[in-house]
Amino acid sequence: MKKQQIGRRGFLKGAGAVGAALGTSPGASTPAAAQQTASSSTAPLPNMASETLPPAPDTQQQTSSGGDFMVDVLKQLGIEYVTQTPANTFRGLHEAIINHGGNKSPEMLSCTHEEIAVAMAHGYVKIEGKPLAVLVQSTVGLQHAAMALYNAYCDQAPIYMLLGNSVDASKRLFSFEWSHAAIDPSVIVRDYIKWDDQPGSLQHFAESAIRAYRIAMTPPMGPVVLSLDSEMQENPIPDRAALSVPPLTRVAAPQGDSGAVAETANLLVKAENPVIIADRLARSQMGMDRLVELAEALQCPVIDSGGRGNFPNRHSLCHSGRGGAVLAQADVILGLEVGDFFGTTHVLSDRIERRSRSIIKPGVKTINISSSDLTPKGNNQAFQRFQAVDLTIAADAEQTLPALIEAVKRGTDASRRTAFEARGKRLEATHHAMMEQWKSDCTLGWDASPVSLGRLCAELYEQIKNDDWSMVGNGIRVTWPRRMWNFDKNYRWIGSSGGAGVGYNAPASLGAALANRKYGRLSVTIQGDGDLMFAPGTLWTAAHHRIPILYVMHNNRAWHQELMYVQAMCNRHGRGVENAHIGTTIDDPNIDFAMMAKSMGVYAEGPIVNAKDVGPALKRALAVVRKGEPALVDVVTDPR
Amino acid sequence: MNRLIQIAAVLMVATVPSAWAQEASKGDAANGKKVYLADGCYQCHGRVGQGGLMTGAAPILAQTKMPFAAFHRQLRSPVNDMPPYPEKLLSEKEVADIYAFLQALPGRRPVKDIPLLNNY
Repeated sequence: MKKQQIGRRGFLKGAGAVGAALGTSPGASTPAAAQQTASSSTAPLPNMASETLPPAPDTQQQTSSGGDFMVDVLKQLGIEYVTQTPANTFRGLHEAIINHGGNKSPEMLSCTHEEIAVAMAHGYVKIEGKPLAVLVQSTVGLQHAAMALYNAYCDQAPIYMLLGNSVDASKRLFSFEWSHAAIDPSVIVRDYIKWDDQPGSLQHFAESAIRAYRIAMTPPMGPVVLSLDSEMQENPIPDRAALSVPPLTRVAAPQGDSGAVAETANLLVKAENPVIIADRLARSQMGMDRLVELAEALQCPVIDSGGRGNFPNRHSLCHSGRGGAVLAQADVILGLEVGDFFGTTHVLSDRIERRSRSIIKPGVKTINISSSDLTPKGNNQAFQRFQAVDLTIAADAEQTLPALIEAVKRGTDASRRTAFEARGKRLEATHHAMMEQWKSDCTLGWDASPVSLGRLCAELYEQIKNDDWSMVGNGIRVTWPRRMWNFDKNYRWIGSSGGAGVGYNAPASLGAALANRKYGRLSVTIQGDGDLMFAPGTLWTAAHHRIPILYVMHNNRAWHQELMYVQAMCNRHGRGVENAHIGTTIDDPNIDFAMMAKSMGVYAEGPIVNAKDVGPALKRALAVVRKGEPALVDVVTDPR
Repeated sequence: MNRLIQIAAVLMVATVPSAWAQEASKGDAANGKKVYLADGCYQCHGRVGQGGLMTGAAPILAQTKMPFAAFHRQLRSPVNDMPPYPEKLLSEKEVADIYAFLQALPGRRPVKDIPLLNNY
């Protein structure tokens, strides 16, 4: 068979003819070359056209971008930081932040996982009171971020998320640009965000950016997502002057109906044993101050469920540690943003029949001031078991407190005031006895190894009590701080994850520490080992951005809550507990958290097993933190 | 009220089977410690019985004031969320041994002896 010989001249001629027939430019000669190759049995020839002809005209420089405009909007919103893991679908906005915006307000923070980026935002907003922005890749990034969004939703924390997405299919080039695109990217998280949008223009973006901020910050607060087309971020703006950014105006949170507030005040004043339960109430010191004012006006006990830093634990009216006892005596119970009214007023039995028993007396008047019912979602069940509260006031409790306080004071006459004072004295004596009992309890296992949690917390408090400290995390519900430390400010405690999704504590603590940094506060967190292993890269972010925080490892070398659950299952079957460690422990090998932290540039000590070594190690680590760096002390603890 | 509690306590002790009373008095604290650790009691109550937390509070057990009969009942047919320990998992002797171990634990110290706790 005679081989077809194609000379250079003939090849170019043919390519040009085919190119012309297809209506393509000379530079786009790939179809011709492909056809030529397909008709030949010889080895593929070089694409001579692309090598010799000039490229088609293609604009390579620009002086403006949609991303620049977006940064202008973020600046107007007062966004101070952007957390992100870099990704191609928001490269336009990324570049605009670091160059057009000068990487200042917002400043870009690097995270090794999107879950860290969102959880940092979660912790940050609970200290700062306003959100930072989270930049996330569509599809793959959002799926990484989803768990942290769920925690924030359950915790009513406003997360401001910007999502990169390639909307126009004809503009997607490479394969990964297709796998990083979706027609409705937010659908995968829509069950647990408040609002989302995918703006079709930059003006649309400006308006939606303000709207999203307002929605996120209106109680009940929650996450919002804006999906931003990558072309819109990257391409030049034809006329910047034609775009406008609406002002961010004030929003008054929903306040309780005046009649319902008056009825509540009347019940509280007339009650012999009123009790207040506060959960996600105090967003700021103002919230705590208002609750103190209400409790003192009534001289009634307060149970702080810990959703936020609601009430000073050393106040004589704080009876969180004996909630069951005060609820059993109550004739009126006022809930303030109580997420789980049923669980608070019942004993739940984790047995085969899963029974529950009320601990409050029949006929007790119950009231809950809560914004939770204002934005319900159907799929996830974070709203807890139904409780038939006598009066639900659908409003923001913090916003409603001034009217309630005023109504209580107005309704209190001299005889009631005398009765309140007597009640207050009784509660003060009980509170004092409770505190003394806790001190005595703390001595148990004082010198034990592994270290008891009472000892660990006492040693830590000894080192920080003279600082302006903030406990930004408590991964495994260690009860000792809230029993023994002095939580006299709202920022001393920020609440927990909300959704009980593991992997929150390490990054959320860091986000809160970031917010505390500018106020000069000392941030400390008690860190579970299981939680840190979900997001160990958090430590690198802490070191890279020099965020001062002390991580104190509560290292019980297990997912210990689950270990106890499995142990209970074993016993339910009468099979013994010797296998309960399978799948629940984090040992063999033991993780060297100090070594891990050091590898990421964080000062670290440990593992510490002797109680007497804890205090000196904490002192050395805190010296590092006070200089503006993160540190970690790994303490091997008793499980609980 | 105190008198009623005393009467109830006497009745409770009086209803303890004599075998239990004997077991309680003969408990081997050293073996009780082994069983306490091997059977996972410490996972909720702490290695030295200092108490802890599961779904709710796990009570302090060091030098428990709970009479042996009540302790025995709590192991066999527990209230709240404590897992049950039937006899095939925990013999009568082992129950007594654990009880002896808990009674032998050092318990609380005077707060005044621990300077850290006096600074609160």
